[in-house]
Amino acid sequence: MQERKTTEHSPTASGAGPDTGREVAVELTGVTKRFGEFVAVEDLSLDIYEGEFFSLLGPSGCGKTTTLRMIAGFDEPTEGNISVAGEQVRGVPPYRRPVNTVFQSYAIFPHLNVFDNVAFGLRRAGVQKDEIRQRVTDACEMVQLAGFEKRRPNMLSGGQQQRVALARALVNRPKVLLLDEPLGALDLKLRKELQLELRTLQHEVGITFVYVTHDQEEALTMSDRIAVMDSGVVRQVADPATLYEFPHDRFVAGFIGQTNMFSGRVEAVEGDRVTLRTSDGEKIEAKGQEAIEANSEAHVAVRPEKIRFGGDGDNVLSVTIEQVVYLGVSTQYIAVRPDGEKIVLYQQNSHDTAGPAEGERVSVAWDAANCLVLGG
Amino acid sequence: MGGKGRGWTLRLVGLLTPITVWLGLFFLVPLLLILAYSFGKSGVYGGITLGFNPGNYLKVFDPLYLEIIIRTFVIAALTTLICFALGYPLAYFITFKGRRWRNALILLVMVPFWTSLLIRAYSWVVILSGNGIANKTLQFLGITDAPVTLIFTSQAVLMGMVYSYLPFMILPLYASLEKFDTRLKEAAKDLGASRWETFWRVTFPLSMPGVIAGSILVFIPSAGEFVIPQLLGGSRTVMTGSLIQSQFGSARDWAFGSALSIMLAALLLAAILFYVRRVGADKLEGV
Ligand SMILES: Nc1ncnc2c1ncn2[C@@H]1O[C@H](COP(=O)(O)OP(=O)(O)O)[C@@H](O)[C@H]1O
Ligand SMILES: [Mg+2]
Repeated sequence: MQERKTTEHSPTASGAGPDTGREVAVELTGVTKRFGEFVAVEDLSLDIYEGEFFSLLGPSGCGKTTTLRMIAGFDEPTEGNISVAGEQVRGVPPYRRPVNTVFQSYAIFPHLNVFDNVAFGLRRAGVQKDEIRQRVTDACEMVQLAGFEKRRPNMLSGGQQQRVALARALVNRPKVLLLDEPLGALDLKLRKELQLELRTLQHEVGITFVYVTHDQEEALTMSDRIAVMDSGVVRQVADPATLYEFPHDRFVAGFIGQTNMFSGRVEAVEGDRVTLRTSDGEKIEAKGQEAIEANSEAHVAVRPEKIRFGGDGDNVLSVTIEQVVYLGVSTQYIAVRPDGEKIVLYQQNSHDTAGPAEGERVSVAWDAANCLVLGG
Repeated sequence: MGGKGRGWTLRLVGLLTPITVWLGLFFLVPLLLILAYSFGKSGVYGGITLGFNPGNYLKVFDPLYLEIIIRTFVIAALTTLICFALGYPLAYFITFKGRRWRNALILLVMVPFWTSLLIRAYSWVVILSGNGIANKTLQFLGITDAPVTLIFTSQAVLMGMVYSYLPFMILPLYASLEKFDTRLKEAAKDLGASRWETFWRVTFPLSMPGVIAGSILVFIPSAGEFVIPQLLGGSRTVMTGSLIQSQFGSARDWAFGSALSIMLAALLLAAILFYVRRVGADKLEGV
C-alpha cells in the first residue's frame, strides 16, 4: 500500500505514469501466496492500467512468475483478491479468464504446425473458419512469421518459436497479455531487437502487457511502469525515470542501474535537506524523500553520472583515481576514498579536455539534490 | 563425407556385423525355410518333400480354417482394444497422479512377468474350471446353484489374453506420457481449452507414439498366441496359433502349417501397415 502511494506522489517525469482517468485492467489487493511455510508473494497490491506496458522486475526467485500465474489462474492466492477487467477472478479457471500468457518456455504444441498453434485459442472459442484463417494470417504477419504457417515447431529457431508463442497469445485479443521472461532464452542481439519490436507491437495493439523480467535494462527500455520486487515484496512502483532518479530504498537503488552508497548518522534535518556524517567524519548533504529523525542511521545514494570532477558542489570528496575505463560515449572512473571505499563516476567524452589519469589525486563533487536519502 | 568417411564405414561394418549374422542365422534362414516348406508336400508320417504346391495356401481358404483365422483377428483386435481402454487411464493415472509412487506402481505393472506365462495361464484354469475358485465363490454367495461354464469360452480366452498382454500396452503408454511436458497443458488451458479439450487436443495426440507402440506390442503376440487359447479355449475356441502348432505336432502336416504361418505373418504385416497409415505414421516420429 505504501509503495503505491509513493508512486502517486512521485514526480512523473516521463508523463507515462497513471492518469486518474484510466481504467484498471488488473487489480491485485493484498495478495499473498504461500507454498507451505514459504511465502512466495507477500501482501502485494498493484493497479495495472489498461493499455499499459507494466513490468514486474526483480531477481530470480522473488515471486514474479508466481504473481503472473495467479493472474492467469494457474495458482490461486492464499490471501487477497485479483480482478481482471473489473471482475473478481477467484475460482475462475484459466480457460475462462480474458488473459493469455507467453510462457517462459514458449510451450509451443510440438504436434501442431505454426498455423494450428496460432489458431488453437480461436478454435476453442468457436470462431468461424474464415475468420480464423484471416486472424491467424494477420497475427503471423504481425510477428513477422508470414510464410511459416505450415512449418513444424521443431524446424523453427528460438526467436521464431518466441514469435509463435506471441502470435498464439495475441491472436485471441486478450484484455491482458502476460509475458514471463519471453526473451530470456535468446542471445543478446536478438533480445535487443525483439525488445523494440515488442514495445512497438504493444503500442499498435493497445493491449495491456504485464511483463516479467529480471533484467533491469530490459524493464527500463520497454515499460511504462515497473514494479520492483524483492523476496515476494514490491519495493517500489514507478515509471522508469522515477525509479532511476528517485529510488525509494537501498534495494531499488542497487538493483536499478549503478549507484554509489554512503551510510552515516543524520546530523541535521532542514526541510528536505539532510546532513549526514559518515563513520570516517565526512559530511554529506543529501535530499530527504520522507520524514527522517536527526541522529538516526541513514543511507544515501548518488548516481555515477551525477558526480563530477572539481571542488564545486554541496559535497566535495578528495579521492585517488584507481581505474579509468574508456567506454566510447563516456569514460568510467573508479576512485578510492581515503577510507578505502570506492566511488564510481562517469564523464561524457564530449569535450576535448582529458580526464584525470590513474593514480592521480583529485576532488570530486556532487549536489545535494542528486543525493537521495534511502529507506530500508 | 571427407577423410573420415573410411573410418566411419569400417566402424559401421563392425557395429552391424554381429546383429546381421545373428538375424540372418536365426531369423532369415528359418523364415526362408518355412517359405520353402509352405510350397512343399508333407509325408504321411511327417517329413517334407520340397516342390511347388500352392495347394497348401488354397487349403487356408477352406471355410473351416478361414473361420479360425477371422476369429484370431477378432480376438486379437478385441484384446488390443480392451487393453487400450484399461491401460490408457491406468498409465495416465500413474504418470500424472502417481507422484512419488510412480516408479513403484510401474514396477507393480511388471510383476506378472516374474512368473512364466504358462504358470499364469494354468492358474486361470484353476480359477475358471467347473469346480474352480470362481464357481465355488458364485455358489457360496448363492448367485448360482450349479457350476456355470466359465472356461473353454471365447470370453475366457479374451480375459486371459487381456490379462497377459495388458503390461505391453501400459509400459509404452507410460513411456510416452512420462515424456509429456505438463506446461503444454497449462498453455492449452491458457488458450481457452477445458480439461477435456486439453486432453483430446494436446495430451492424447502427443501420446500417440505410445498408443501405436502399445497396440502393436499387444496385437501381434495376441494374434499368434497358442498357449492361452489352448488352455482356456479348449477345442471350441481354436486360434490360428494353436492350429499351426498342431500342424507341426499331432497333425504332422508341416507344409500346411508353414503356409498358415506365412499367411498369418502376411496378414499381420498388412494389418499393422494399414493401422499405422490410418493413425498417421507422422505421429511416430519423436515428438
Ligand atoms: N509450486 C511451488 N511450490 C513451492 N515453492 C514454489 C512453487 N512455485 C514457486 N515456488 C517458490 O517461490 C519462489 C518464487 O518463485 P517464482 O515466482 O518462480 O520466482 P521468479 O519467477 O521471480 O524467479 C521461489 O523461491 C520458488 O522456489
Ligand atoms: Mg520466473
